[in-house]
Amino acid sequence: MSRRTIVASLAVLGLALAIAALAGLGTGTGTAAPHAKQLSGTVSLSGWQSSPVEDNLLRQVIKAFQKKYPKIKVSYTALGGDYDATMLAKFAARKPPDVFYVNGHVFPVWVPQGVLASLSPYIKKYHFSTKPFFPRLLSGFKYKGQTYGFPKDWGPLAMFVNTDMLKKAGAKTPTTWATLRSTAQKLKSSNAVPGGTPICLSDDWARVFAFVYQNGYKGGILRSNSIMSSKVKAAANYYVGLWKSGLAKRPQDIGASWNGDGFMKGKCAIAFEGPWLVPPLKDVPSIHYKIAALPKGKTRGNLAFTVSYSIAKDSKHKALAWTLLTYLTGRAGMKKWTSLGLSLPSRKDVKPVSRLSTFTKAAGYSHVWQGGPKFNDVITAANNELSAVAEGKESVNSMLSKIRSAAKSAGQ
Amino acid sequence: MRSWAWGSERIREALVGYAFILVPMGVFLLFFIFPIGYAVYISRYNWGILGKIDFVGWGNYRTLFHDPIFWRAVKNTAMFSVAVVILEVTLGLALAVIVNQTLRFRTFYRAGFYFPSIASSAAITAIAIYILSADGLLNSFLGLFGYDTNRPWFYDSGTALWSLVGLNGWATSGTIMLFYLAALQAIPVEVYEAAAIDGARTWRTFWKVTFPLLRPAHFFVLVVAVIGALQMFDQAFLVAGPEGGPNYSTLTVVLYLYNKAIANAEFGYAAAVGVMLFVGIFAITVIQRLLFGRPEVA
Amino acid sequence: MADRPELPSVPPLVAVEELASTGDVALGVPERAHIPGRGRVERVRTVLVYLVLTLIAFLFAVPFLWSVLTSLKPISETISFTFLPKTWTVSAYHSVFTEFSFGRYTLNSFIVAAAVTVSNVFLASLGGYAFARLRFPGREPLFFLVLGTLMIPDELRLVPVYQLLVNVLPKYLHVTLVPSRLGFILINLVSATSLFLMRQYFLTIPRDLEEAAKLDGASYFKTFWRVMLPLAGPAVAAVTILTFQGTWNGLFWPLIIFQDSSLWTLPIGIAEFHQVYTTLWPQLMAASVVALLPIVALYVFFQRYFVAGVAAAGVKG
Repeated sequence: MSRRTIVASLAVLGLALAIAALAGLGTGTGTAAPHAKQLSGTVSLSGWQSSPVEDNLLRQVIKAFQKKYPKIKVSYTALGGDYDATMLAKFAARKPPDVFYVNGHVFPVWVPQGVLASLSPYIKKYHFSTKPFFPRLLSGFKYKGQTYGFPKDWGPLAMFVNTDMLKKAGAKTPTTWATLRSTAQKLKSSNAVPGGTPICLSDDWARVFAFVYQNGYKGGILRSNSIMSSKVKAAANYYVGLWKSGLAKRPQDIGASWNGDGFMKGKCAIAFEGPWLVPPLKDVPSIHYKIAALPKGKTRGNLAFTVSYSIAKDSKHKALAWTLLTYLTGRAGMKKWTSLGLSLPSRKDVKPVSRLSTFTKAAGYSHVWQGGPKFNDVITAANNELSAVAEGKESVNSMLSKIRSAAKSAGQ
Repeated sequence: MRSWAWGSERIREALVGYAFILVPMGVFLLFFIFPIGYAVYISRYNWGILGKIDFVGWGNYRTLFHDPIFWRAVKNTAMFSVAVVILEVTLGLALAVIVNQTLRFRTFYRAGFYFPSIASSAAITAIAIYILSADGLLNSFLGLFGYDTNRPWFYDSGTALWSLVGLNGWATSGTIMLFYLAALQAIPVEVYEAAAIDGARTWRTFWKVTFPLLRPAHFFVLVVAVIGALQMFDQAFLVAGPEGGPNYSTLTVVLYLYNKAIANAEFGYAAAVGVMLFVGIFAITVIQRLLFGRPEVA
Repeated sequence: MADRPELPSVPPLVAVEELASTGDVALGVPERAHIPGRGRVERVRTVLVYLVLTLIAFLFAVPFLWSVLTSLKPISETISFTFLPKTWTVSAYHSVFTEFSFGRYTLNSFIVAAAVTVSNVFLASLGGYAFARLRFPGREPLFFLVLGTLMIPDELRLVPVYQLLVNVLPKYLHVTLVPSRLGFILINLVSATSLFLMRQYFLTIPRDLEEAAKLDGASYFKTFWRVMLPLAGPAVAAVTILTFQGTWNGLFWPLIIFQDSSLWTLPIGIAEFHQVYTTLWPQLMAASVVALLPIVALYVFFQRYFVAGVAAAGVKG
């Protein structure tokens, strides 16, 4: 063959391969089984609602799904009250819904009990690509190498700052541990938060641990073999120090029920909360605020609070469930779900509402908030000890040592 | 025990008796007795969501005896129950006595005092949380008397349990008042007139005459109040959640049961906690019966 | 026990009259026994008593007064503490019935409470009569068992009862029990408290009427239905109020059984407000007020009989 022919053939081959690759990418982004359109039946979906608006939005997403798959009917129930209790009762009776929410920190409790179906066989069978999901979020729903859920949305922490109070104090938005202190100091001395406190800081390890990760800690959350490390100690001392030096107060000490409540009441200038604080703030237009990233310690660190859609092991309609699940966590489904800014998309290829963009930037350094199967015992003990420290009844070292024994007896 | 003459009439009566109680006993056996038996059964296992994991015999109970958090829950439950029963019984009796006077607007007062008892736990707990928050109604009220405080009554480990006592006592005193009112009104006027003729003053009449006459009421009220207090769940759960913070101050035995079952899916251990609670309630009721009981009218 | 004065035995019908009355049963010196020379002291004392009483009643009422006031405020006024509304508005009530479906919750509460109350009245009186008047082997131990059920915490019963309702019973009864009102009504068909009250009341009714009926040749059921039950008015009223109120305000079992929001009752709706991050205080208070009204009405209507019924049933001895 002439040289020209060889080059031309290679070019055509290359082009063909490129087209094939692109086509492959297209079908990989979260579509269901190729034969999904032929499936028919009813699939049940359960979750909880945080507001009627959210409930309505989910129903819209379901409507869109049913338009795409007219033969599949979705029966959606919003479980009120104690979601976990109702779900456990359903699991025990072996009549669970097909698809349902699983909270990130509850996942390690449910999955070893054998109530969740592994999604890995389906991922393999249909060559499903899980690449669009933020890998840290996805790993939160993996167990023994298999995937048991896809994150439906998530939320890290951010620093909400009251811009009016900041201006009054003549301070700048903090970016490091040091500047957090200095800004808080300025807020305090200029009395920019009358009747309140510069920082609303709750006695909750689900806030402290963000600082622990910022201090360069690498490890699990509240584990017995690492809780006494110097990195944890230093972070805890920094956090507690904010209380002790009067730069921060717990929300309950200023008449608020959580950090966000204090922020909304104008009782603090800085609060560390997640995207869930944004919708309620719409009801209080007098509070002018901005959303900034968490301060940097030795490095950046944050916590990810996330919920998955999972399929029940005892589900009798797994194929239908898979179709629904992949739609809800697929590009179209998630785009609709996050379109009102009520939640943050857990996929890289879905852009959040512009107001929430700061949150998404934390995806690369956020650690899923979860522990072992008895995490609840550890977190209860840990938070109780932290309250004692906040009330001046205990030292940080003693607290950490008690948490270690609690973690040990909880097997983590 | 009477000697049974098994005539056909007696047999008929017995059969009718069984027929009349058939449905109620069915409900009790199915939804109360069977569950407690089931609970005892699963308490001897490590029991997960989908069933037994492994047999541990009395292991759960052994762990329970060494569980400091369980004993903290027992202590909280005991302190709460003693305090709340004293509060609600004293308050209820006092209110009943007051309302029982020949007064105008007596129906109005009676309704007013009974009001908290007819509201749902969810509603009154929500109201109480708001009133007892750090900048709530109570602290503003205390501020009027110069007692300036910023204390979050429900969220301070020192006062949380006592705030629950106050809330629960306030809410149940109306029911107790009604029980005592009914009993007071059953005491005929002649008794008082006799005391008045003897020249007895009001306070003495109460202690020497009225109080002893209320003995059946005392027994009934105490049993009902204690059983209720030992099982208090709604308010503690709504105020602090199943963890019973801060510093386990509002953790009751029932809350601990719930926590172990729902948060950890440790059903066997939770069942052991529940069985211990049942045994405790049973024992206390039997003791009350022995100390204060009277023979049944038959 | 020795110094306990002998109470005259009072026939039940007369007792009902007495107990239902709001007449002169006073503590201490009845007003009629007029002792000369103490007029002014008496009046001061009376004024003082009214004052204390009004103060206490006020303290009891203030939280509810405040919640009604809060239900008439817009949200912005509830962020921090206020007492009187600056702007009076019924928007919370409107929101509660439109956004939050409280109309449906009220209807559900009513259906369920009515069903459970009717069932309780019938079954408890039937069973209570049997325990009080009919003789059958094992009567006392069985009654003791009934009372024992009061000592079993709900939370302990959760899993076995749920499994019964979902797995076991539907096989035999061929109906869905969860999520459904049927499941809830089934486990609440009769309560130990209702049965206890009825039994205690039946014990106080003299036997002559029954014996007369038996001589006339009436069957056991007829005696119960035609003679005894009509006499048990106050106890029936007591059971009605207690059961209706208990079911109306119950939270635990409705949460577990009524999973679908179309079945939710009022307490679930109220508890949902706790879940939302901003506690919508005006709506929460409006919902609480709505939940309270029927009970208040019921109580006002039945209260005379309630007091009499509870008296004869439990506390008179």
